[in-house]
Amino acid sequence: MRTVSKLVGGLALAMLVASAAAQDKVLTVLNAGGASADSERKSFYVPFTASSGVKIVEESFNQELAKIRAQVETGRSKWDVTTLTAINEATACEEGLLEKIDWARLLDPKLFAGVGGFGRCGVPYLFVSGGIAYDGDKLKDGPRTWADFWDVKRFPGKRGMLYRAEQTFEVALMADGVEPAKVMDVLAAPGGVERALKKLEELKPHIQWWKSGAESMTLLASGEVVMTYAWNGRVASANKTNNRNFRMALGAGHVSGSQYLAIPKGTQNRAEAIRFIQFAAAPPPQAALAREINYAPANAAAYAQLTATEKATLPGEFMDRASLQRGSRYISFWVDNGDVLLQRFVRFAAQ
Amino acid sequence: MRGPLPVRSRQTAPSWLAQRRLLLMPLLLVAPSVLLVAAFFVAPLGYFLLRSVDNSEVPLALPKASGALQRWDGSGDVPALVFEALAGDLRALADSPALSQLARRLNHSQPGFRSLITRSAARLPAVAPGAGWRAAFVAVDERWGEPVWMQVLRAESGRWTPSYYLAAVDLRLGEGGRLEQVSTEQAVFRTLFVRTFVISATVTALCLMLGFPVALLMARATPGVANIVLMLVLIPFWTSLLVRSTAWVILLQNQGVINQSLIGLGLLEKPMPLIFNRFGLYVAMVHVLLPFMILPLYSVLKGIPENLTRAAASLGAPPWAAFVRIYLPQTVPGVVAGSSLVFVLALGYYITPALVGGPRDQMIGYFIAYFTNSAINWGMAAALGTLLLSAVVLIYAAIGATIGFGSLKVR
Repeated sequence: MRTVSKLVGGLALAMLVASAAAQDKVLTVLNAGGASADSERKSFYVPFTASSGVKIVEESFNQELAKIRAQVETGRSKWDVTTLTAINEATACEEGLLEKIDWARLLDPKLFAGVGGFGRCGVPYLFVSGGIAYDGDKLKDGPRTWADFWDVKRFPGKRGMLYRAEQTFEVALMADGVEPAKVMDVLAAPGGVERALKKLEELKPHIQWWKSGAESMTLLASGEVVMTYAWNGRVASANKTNNRNFRMALGAGHVSGSQYLAIPKGTQNRAEAIRFIQFAAAPPPQAALAREINYAPANAAAYAQLTATEKATLPGEFMDRASLQRGSRYISFWVDNGDVLLQRFVRFAAQ
Repeated sequence: MRGPLPVRSRQTAPSWLAQRRLLLMPLLLVAPSVLLVAAFFVAPLGYFLLRSVDNSEVPLALPKASGALQRWDGSGDVPALVFEALAGDLRALADSPALSQLARRLNHSQPGFRSLITRSAARLPAVAPGAGWRAAFVAVDERWGEPVWMQVLRAESGRWTPSYYLAAVDLRLGEGGRLEQVSTEQAVFRTLFVRTFVISATVTALCLMLGFPVALLMARATPGVANIVLMLVLIPFWTSLLVRSTAWVILLQNQGVINQSLIGLGLLEKPMPLIFNRFGLYVAMVHVLLPFMILPLYSVLKGIPENLTRAAASLGAPPWAAFVRIYLPQTVPGVVAGSSLVFVLALGYYITPALVGGPRDQMIGYFIAYFTNSAINWGMAAALGTLLLSAVVLIYAAIGATIGFGSLKVR
């Protein structure tokens, strides 16, 4: 009897110590703030802390690779996990700012093939689509194609567009009749940029440029623009939190890419960071994230956990209408020419 | 401290020791702030200035090729030796972070260099093929057949580079090291610099026009009224810049309060564009920067003795003449202090123009932030920043030469 109670006592003590040790673990995770931080907190951080005991500390990060570089150069990154765009994942990985991990050994590659597969350093965790958004309460018969977006006679009013060369040039080519899947081929070929600029020139007097996703929704909500290029998660969260009836015409063609989770080099918590990413990439948190923010899950298995209504707002049925932000053509083109094209774009927009 | 140091009358210790101690005490007292300024202002600034001409990445990554390129005069065929040296350097760099840093660095000088370098490093054969290294490079990527790549590489093979500064004023090194304009569709920075200075100067003038009467009222009013006005100036001053900029969007947009009221009153038929243009930018920037004009003005105006104006009046000067000839000259230090503060702050603006301006109202700060944060082209950010800083220093020197810094002393 006495030995049993001793054993139980010892076991309880051991468990206490173990859980205390686990609770001491803290992961610092970077996110973009705002709606995306809220949704990632609910679907990734809270359940991960509940199941593993590892606490998550959030920091805001707007894709400034310079900040990651500064952290890595100190040799002891205080950041453990970061969210990255496709270009930044490829660039940062190439520059040795991220831990190189063979994710195919830890996760099923087939489930991530549809959104472009694993990066050399990161795991896709959500799939962002940019396309036409409009207010369903104001436009009963809304735009269906990019030609409609350019048709200022049928739909009078300003159009919101992203103040950036990237994505905007792709959209312009779609409006010029290029099939979404061929857009990057045309853009990277000689004369592609000129063709995109020429098409934008037609619409320019009617364009209201925006610089942040929140701004695109403000413009649409206030009626300042009649339709806008927008990211689907922003549209969905405006609908939910502000009770709007914004709709997207993703069948027109959309510019879509994965966001990645990756681990900055030199973290003190590599094992926990890997566990966190594995957790976030599994179907239940993936489905939860999709439900929260209406970006598509990166893990194809997560679609099965979503209802028909939830899936209706995702690009799932329009995946063949995507200009995908992935692959070496896309990344090479934008990383090689990004600076020059931004300069050309800024000059074009100001003329 | 001017004049001879006061020496204590007690002469027991050698006087030089006492003098030293007297000198040392104030030095020790100011040491923390001097060190703080040195560590967090002078050092980063110096480092940043250095980044604008620093080119160590290239010669460090390509030691052999840099040497070979320096011996080539840049015209005619690229010597075979250069290709051989580059092949050796690239092989040594294969798969290291230094390779992609080099590729990124060269891409700043010539777009496309990034993929050219990474592809060549990955695909070049280990030993020279029969046809020689030049043919091997062209086989990997036919761009190597054009002389421009090696010319750029040659121009960037030294320890220091002028290319960031040239790019910051829309110039580049052309064939044979001659300066040439970048293509017109790419030339943005000169326009942006001019625009930045025009916007800042206009905002400063508007702030002065609006701020002077307020400061005058505060200086002349009874303490009660002055305090109320001061609070009205300070409360917006303490409000976040983002909030104030966004508030103007809500007020001034087409569907905003002002336009809709005017339309409701029948004064307008369709909304007047008040925001996302230069007008909206001036409104928002003046609003944000006005306290920086009013507060220094107020502190100077408060110190001007009123009896001088009264004396002028008693000597027969009409109020207008007394104001212009007696009062106004005494306000110059406040005007200069407030104006230079507003002007310098306005030069660095880019968030407010991004929020309330149109595509024709973006300022140079937009690109400095872009090159620092997004493009990780710190050399370019440093060059743009340094040019902006030099312009400010020149303007200050001009103010110093015309008005004199003596007038700026604190009362």
